[in-house]
Amino acid sequence: MARWALVSGLQGDLALYEAIQRDLRQLGRVDTLFVLGDLIGPDRDANALLDRLQDPRRGELAPQCIYGWWEDQLLAERGYRGERRAELLRQQFGQAAVEALELAVDPGHLAWLAALQFGFIELDCALLHGSSADVGDCLGAESSPLLLLDRLTRMDVNRLFTARSGEQFCVELAGGGIASTVRDLAGERQLQQVVPQRKVIGIGSGLRYSLYDPGSDRIAFRSVGQQPGSRGRGFA
Amino acid sequence: MAHAVISCLHANLAALEAVLSDIDQRGIKTITCLGDLVGYGPHPNEVVNLVRERGIPSCQGCWDEDIIEGLNACECSYPSQLAERRGHRAHQWTAEQLNDDNKAFLASLPMVLRRDRLVFVHGSPNSQHEYLLPDMDAFAALERVQTADADILFCGHTHRPYVRELRDGVIRVRVQTPMGSQPAAERETAWPVRRIVNAGSVGEPRHGNTHATYVIHDEATGNVEIREVPYDVERTCRAIVEVGLPPVFAWRLRHGFEYAERADDASHVCER
Repeated sequence: MARWALVSGLQGDLALYEAIQRDLRQLGRVDTLFVLGDLIGPDRDANALLDRLQDPRRGELAPQCIYGWWEDQLLAERGYRGERRAELLRQQFGQAAVEALELAVDPGHLAWLAALQFGFIELDCALLHGSSADVGDCLGAESSPLLLLDRLTRMDVNRLFTARSGEQFCVELAGGGIASTVRDLAGERQLQQVVPQRKVIGIGSGLRYSLYDPGSDRIAFRSVGQQPGSRGRGFA
Repeated sequence: MAHAVISCLHANLAALEAVLSDIDQRGIKTITCLGDLVGYGPHPNEVVNLVRERGIPSCQGCWDEDIIEGLNACECSYPSQLAERRGHRAHQWTAEQLNDDNKAFLASLPMVLRRDRLVFVHGSPNSQHEYLLPDMDAFAALERVQTADADILFCGHTHRPYVRELRDGVIRVRVQTPMGSQPAAERETAWPVRRIVNAGSVGEPRHGNTHATYVIHDEATGNVEIREVPYDVERTCRAIVEVGLPPVFAWRLRHGFEYAERADDASHVCER
C-alpha cells in the first residue's frame, strides 16, 4: 500500500514546498499528499505558493489541503467567521502581524481558503491541524494522555494526525483503564472501561514532515534534505 | 457543611418554591444554581425574581445565554425539527415576557462558579450546550473534571440527576520522537478519584417522575443525596396553556420525561 505524506506550516514558502515535492519524488511509493494547514503566514508573500497548491505542476503530487490556525485568523479578520476577528493573532503577535498576514495573501485567494475543510477522515484516521476541539489546539508529546484520548474519542478515530505544535511525535495509548460507579434514582451500577489502542501523531512543521503507511501503520519522520535511505528517524 | 445545588428551573415557579421550601426545612443556607432559570415554563420573571431575592449564586445556562444573545447554538440543541420549532416558540415568548432588568441579570451570570475544589457549570466546562450523560465515556468524563481543575464537577442540562464516581483511572503511553534510534519512552499517568454530580432539574424533570429534583452535598462526609420533591404540577401546566405556550410542555411535566426529544449525539460540543 502506498504511503501518505503529511505536511504543514509551509507559511507561504514555495521553495520549501518544491523541496518537499522533490524529496517525495526521490522517496517514491507516496501516493497522497496532505497539507494540514498553515499554508500562509505573516513573514512572506504566500500568493505563489497558493497558486501552486491550486494548480500543481505535472509530475507533482496534488495536495489535499485543510485550513490551519493562520488561515483561520486571516479568514476571521476578513469577515469569513461571522463576528469573530483575528483577536488571538492580535493578542499573540500584535496588530503588525495582522496587517502583514493580510498583505501576504491576495483577496483573490480568500474564497479558496474559505472553502478549505477543518480536517479529513481517511480510513480510521483524523487528519487535522489542531485537534477535534479546535484548530488552535496544541497537542504535543508531553500533552496529558487524558487530553489526547479525549481528542481521539471526540472524532471516534484510532489515529489522530495533528500539526499545530510543530512537533514530530507519536504517542501510543498502550494500556490502562478506569472504573466508575453511577448512582441515580433507579439505583447504582458499576462500569469498567479499558484504554483503547490508539495513537496521536504530530507530523511536524515546515521542513519537518511525516510519512504514514496505512497498510502497516508505520510512520516515518522526515526532514527535507534527509537522504532517502537514511535510518534512525523512522520507526514502526 | 451541607449545601444544595439546583439546576434547570425553567420558569416553573411552583417547582422552585417547593424545592426552596424543602431546602429551608433542612436548614441548608448555601444554595448554588446551575442555570436555565427560564425557558419552557410560564413564569420567567417570577423565577428570576425569586432567585435574585434569595441571593442564590447562579451560573448561566444555555437558555439564559440564548435569551440574551439570541439563538446561537447549532442544530445540536434539538433532536428534531418539531422540537426545534417548539423550542423557538418558547424562546420567542420568553424573550418577550422577560423584563430588561432580569435580562441584564441573566447576561451578568458567569459560565463557571468555583468554591475551592468544587466547580459548578450548566452543561460542561466546555459549553453550556454539552451534555454530560451518566454513561458517557468515562475518560471523557474524567477529562471534563480535570479540565475544570475540580474534585467534584456539578452540572445540570440533562434534567436527569446522577452521581458518578470515577476511580482508578490510569493511562499508559509509549512516546516516540525523532531522536535517533532511542527506544520509545513509556510513562504512566494515574488520577485520583473524581466525581460528577448532576443536579437534575427543578422545573422540567425528565427522569421518569414528575417530582422536581436537586442534590444536597455534605462536604464533611462527602455524601451526595439526590432529592425528589413533589410540587403542584397542575398549577404550572395550567399556566403553560393559559399563556399560550405549546401544550406539549405541560404534557411533558405531567409525565416527567421528554417525549421523543433526547439529543442524538449528547457528546457533541456546539462550536458556535
